[in-house]
Amino acid sequence: MEKEYYVCTGCGLLCDDIELEMEKDLIGKVHTACRVGVAHMKESPGEAEYLVDGKKVDEKTAIEEAASVLKAARNPLIFGLGTSTNEAQKKAIELAEKLNATLDDTSSFCLGPLIEAILQEKFKTCTLDDVRNKADISFFWGSDPADSHPRHLSKFSYFPRGQEKQRGWEEERTAIAVDIRKSHTAKICGNEFYQVPPGGDAEFIEALIAGLSGKLPKTSFKFPPKKLLELANILKGARFGVIFVGLGLIYSLENLEPLIKLMDTLNEKAKGDFYLIPMVGHYNMRGFNETLFEKTGFVNSVKFEEGSVKHGPGYSVVESLKAKTVDAALIIGSDPLASLPHSIAKQLLEIPLITIDPCETLSSRKAKVSIRSGVSGVEAGGSATRMDGVQVPFRPAIDAKRPSDEEILSKLMEAL
Amino acid sequence: MDFGSFLAAPELKVKIVTYRDIFQNKAMIEDRFGEDYRTRSAIIKLDPADLKSLSVKKGDTVILKNSFGKVVVKAEESGYEPPHRGIAYMPNSPWSNMLVSNETGGTGVPKFKDIEATASSAKGEKVTDFEF
Ligand code: SF4
Repeated sequence: MEKEYYVCTGCGLLCDDIELEMEKDLIGKVHTACRVGVAHMKESPGEAEYLVDGKKVDEKTAIEEAASVLKAARNPLIFGLGTSTNEAQKKAIELAEKLNATLDDTSSFCLGPLIEAILQEKFKTCTLDDVRNKADISFFWGSDPADSHPRHLSKFSYFPRGQEKQRGWEEERTAIAVDIRKSHTAKICGNEFYQVPPGGDAEFIEALIAGLSGKLPKTSFKFPPKKLLELANILKGARFGVIFVGLGLIYSLENLEPLIKLMDTLNEKAKGDFYLIPMVGHYNMRGFNETLFEKTGFVNSVKFEEGSVKHGPGYSVVESLKAKTVDAALIIGSDPLASLPHSIAKQLLEIPLITIDPCETLSSRKAKVSIRSGVSGVEAGGSATRMDGVQVPFRPAIDAKRPSDEEILSKLMEAL
Repeated sequence: MDFGSFLAAPELKVKIVTYRDIFQNKAMIEDRFGEDYRTRSAIIKLDPADLKSLSVKKGDTVILKNSFGKVVVKAEESGYEPPHRGIAYMPNSPWSNMLVSNETGGTGVPKFKDIEATASSAKGEKVTDFEF
């Protein structure tokens, strides 16, 4: 019998080799996934639940109430979508257009600028399969996949054998980490861990570029020049190098210029080529960015207005809440009351909220209307865009009792 | 009589760096209102010398505060080398987010990983519970 494989939507890696053992109609055992993936796939699927003001109602009442909140709003915010399928995201964009809404996702305060630069071809990028097959340098900068993307190192970037890398990590791959603390990934990198002080990344990049160009690398925090030159030499020898950029680096840089300059220098000085892959956390944040980019030319922070699109940080979730420009919020698969600074998120307590989420969250507890949706890859099928831009289709593993985000958004659209 | 309790608890300025933790992430997926998520989230990892200067032992609670908010979390030893006095680490969570500044310079990006706060002993006060 041919084996059936499922896709885990627990993080941006979208592992597609998951084997499941069913017990009655539920998932009993999850094989091959990491501990996060197992927890994610076994997240109790439960019954559909519709709440208005915390009281159970039927689907129709909840959808109608949500529609009337959105209709009454002058400038509703649609936010989240990092854990929705491509199909649901398209629906949400349509909904935003129809409502003249402000639309944003978490990328506006995390990796958005990097994804935008990749889509604008400011960086060379490659797929994770290329990494497994060819990479001899895996460089983790401000990223810690051992904690954030648990199977990254074993499936793609360090441990596996690959077509042109038959001797794997023991002989043919070097893993390097730059971070402000010795993360679990940094420990795996051993001697190739370079610790910088908080905010020191731009200077470290500058010094590394000097080192690559045969100059003496200097930093105000007195990083040993000899060690920096050793790093420059390792990088110069690369035939297929990849930098995995995480939030640690993005938050530390004022803009992407130093990184662009570093990538250009690496591509000029190294034996082979250097690529960049963004360490996207949510399984389909990149999908949202790409779909919105295709449609509007922007990856996030937009406001639709009678057929035209406005864009800028002023339309990001954070600035919209700070400036109190939005008067209702539809939150899909995100928990801003937990994940945004409280000093900013507290504005959400002043406006009516509609939440669509598989779990109860701090935000759903405060929602006027709260709808429980099915988990992608477990209860809902569709497709998503992996952190490296590869499309991954998936089907549900069990018969869902709860509707998908896509179904809920379609019904909301009809009710409007 | 414990005269120490009449003295103001020593305070320490710390720069807090946030990070992600796989066990905490798993605990959140399983139950974001559960005990496991709280014990793995509501912590601050300090340099052993900083713990000493605050007169707290590992496992004791500390108050972290700044002009944006206040939380009570458990203090732990970081276990990191080299020493990092004045720099502390917290997993990303609603507890760390209580302290993040609302200053963004109009960029839309809060300084999640760059928090300044004052730490002092919470003298047995319980870890902050969330219900806004
Ligand atoms: S690495 Fe990510 S996608 Fe893969 S099994 Fe773990 S959580 Fe799921």
